[in-house]
Order: sequence, then structure tokens, then C-alpha cells
Amino acid sequence: MLPEYYYLTLSAILFSMGAMGVLIRRNAIIIFMSVELMLNAANLAFVSFARMHATINGQIFVFFVMAVAAAEVAVGLALIVAIFETKQSIDIDQMNSMKG
Amino acid sequence: MSEYLPIVVLLILSAFVAGAAIALGHLFGPHHPTERKSLPYESGMTPFGPGARRMPVRFYLIAVLFILFDIETVFFLPWAVVFRKLGLFGLIEMLIFVMVLVVGFLYAWEKGALEWE
Amino acid sequence: MSIDIILFLGLAVVAILSAAGMLFSRNAIYSALFLIINFSAIAVYYLILGAPFIALTQITVYAGAIMVLFIFVIMLLGAEQTGRTPASWWMRPLGMGLGALLILESLYLIFTHLHSFPQPIEIIDGFGNPGQVGEILFDKYVLPFEIISLLLLVAMIGAIVLTKKKMKR
Repeated sequence: MLPEYYYLTLSAILFSMGAMGVLIRRNAIIIFMSVELMLNAANLAFVSFARMHATINGQIFVFFVMAVAAAEVAVGLALIVAIFETKQSIDIDQMNSMKG
Repeated sequence: MSEYLPIVVLLILSAFVAGAAIALGHLFGPHHPTERKSLPYESGMTPFGPGARRMPVRFYLIAVLFILFDIETVFFLPWAVVFRKLGLFGLIEMLIFVMVLVVGFLYAWEKGALEWE
Repeated sequence: MSIDIILFLGLAVVAILSAAGMLFSRNAIYSALFLIINFSAIAVYYLILGAPFIALTQITVYAGAIMVLFIFVIMLLGAEQTGRTPASWWMRPLGMGLGALLILESLYLIFTHLHSFPQPIEIIDGFGNPGQVGEILFDKYVLPFEIISLLLLVAMIGAIVLTKKKMKR
């Protein structure tokens, strides 16, 4: 069994890559996927902390994060579809007006 | 960890079988690609336009409902395992959970999100 | 080198390369497929860390259902590629720089706090089983659990309302 900080390091790297994806990509769907990557990195940290303290509480939070992620994806992708219907584009540089 | 060894063996074995089937076909099958042969197959018609077509939004709605009920099932499984230990309390809390989701189910039904014309 | 570290490093390479592939693919479908590889690699980490139930949930919910939804939407919109008209030239390097800074900072934090991590603890048999998860989830975390049902209900209604108009046509 490796020490848990190996996993925390990996989780930090993946989270930062997700944050980088949010910053550099302009395709709304890929930005969404980067957010999923960040959520997964956070889940990995939760699970390694649960292992580190040998309690199950951290794992419970992973289930809540998964449920929140599913709800977020359901509404967020529906929003992207709705935006595409009006703008014919999912480039976030085009989404700069408050009116539809 | 050692209890997962059979699964690893199974994974390696299935990957090997699938890979071997493809590799053997490549090794021993005849290869004479022509331009016409490598076109996408469209029942004998000459293909035109981009290969990927846009799909109707109905698929999306069905997939969304699937995911949300999928999450519900994820919470069902641990509940079913400890059902006896939890007793009446567990039954009531799960009933509340299911009731709330049944409201969503009825809403989807009422709005015709489940209909496929 | 023990088998543990080989397993860890091999999977870490897979996870990081697939995340990079997700970030830099031109085609959104490839990004989605790379992300599925990444989620599968993380699922194996969950197995190693004594969370078998989460590992399988990860495969079925994330790699299975959520990514299928993403691929659906990409195909629904026919928007595999966005235009390449660059935004301001400094945005990309700035984003990369900030991401690198975030990595460095979090690594600094982890490696300066190593001494405060507890000593390795042996986990009991059946750690992370559905049964053990259920015992705590339905006892200590009842309220969050019930709130999740409300969240799912709201998501369901939101998705239906947002897509409903288009289905009427």
C-alpha cells in the first residue's frame, strides 16, 4: 500500500488540468467535461482521505458528489442545447449578451 | 486486493481474445483496398454529406431521465444490503426518497417526455 | 520497485495523458472518449484505495451514463468542432500559466504538510462495501440523502422544461 499522498498528488494534478481546460477551451461542452474532470479529481481526494483515516465518511461524500454531478450535467447540457438553438453555436465567446 | 485477481485475469483474458480475433483476421485475411471499397457502406448508394447526422432532442431527454434514475438505483443498492438492520426507520426514509422521485416521474410522464410517438 | 508503485505510475500515466488528450483534442467526440479512459483509470484507483462500490459506481454512472449523455449532446448539436478564430492571443498562455501555478501550489501544500498526515492505518475487512456504506449513509447522513432526492427532482424538471419546447415542433 502506497502512502496516500501519492494519490493526493495525482488528484491535485488532475484538478489543475481540469481548471486549465476551463480556462483555455472555448467549446462549452469541453468546458463542461473539464468540470467533470475536476469533480473526479476531488472524488479521488475524498477517497484517499477516507483511506488515510480509515473511516467511510469520505466515501459517502463521493456519492453525493456523483449525484450532484449527474444533476448538474442534466441541466447544464439542456442549457447548452437551448443556447445552441438560439445562437447556432456553442462557442462561449459568442455568449456575451443577456438576451436570448 | 487479492480478491480482485480473478477480475484482472478475466479482463486480460477477454482483451487477449478480442485482440487475437482482430489480429488473426488482419494476418490471414486478404487485403485489397480500393477507393470504392473504403467508402462508407450505405446499402449500395453513393454516400453523400457528412457522416454524422444530427439526432433529435428526444434521445437527450430519455438519456437524462435514465441518468437521474440511475443515481436513484445507486442509492438503492446499499440500502437493500442493510435493509434489515435499519428496520422501520430505513423503510420510511427510503419511502420519502422514492416519493419525491415519483413526483418527478409523474411530471415527466404528464409532460409526455416518455412518449416516443 | 514494488508492484504497487508500478501499478500506480502506470495508471497515473494513463490518467494524465488521457486528461491531456481531453484538453487538447480538436474534436469534442475524441475529448469525450479520452475522458472515459480517464474515468476508468480513476475507477481502478478507487479499487486500490478500498472503495470497491464507488469504483463500480464510477464505471456505471460516470463512464457509462454521464459520458453517453455528453456524446449524445455532441451528436445532437452536430458541433464536434468550434471555429478556430483565436480569442485574444494572450488567453491561452495565460490559462496554461495559471493552471501550472495551481499545480505547483497544490503540490507545495501537499509536500509541506506530509508530517501532519496520520500514520498508515490498516483497514478492516469489507471496507467500502455497499453494506458498510449503507450503514453510515442511512444513519448519519439521512438529511443529505433526502436532499439528493429533491436535487434529482429539480434536475429532472429543469431538463424537461428546457428541452420541451423543441419537442413540440
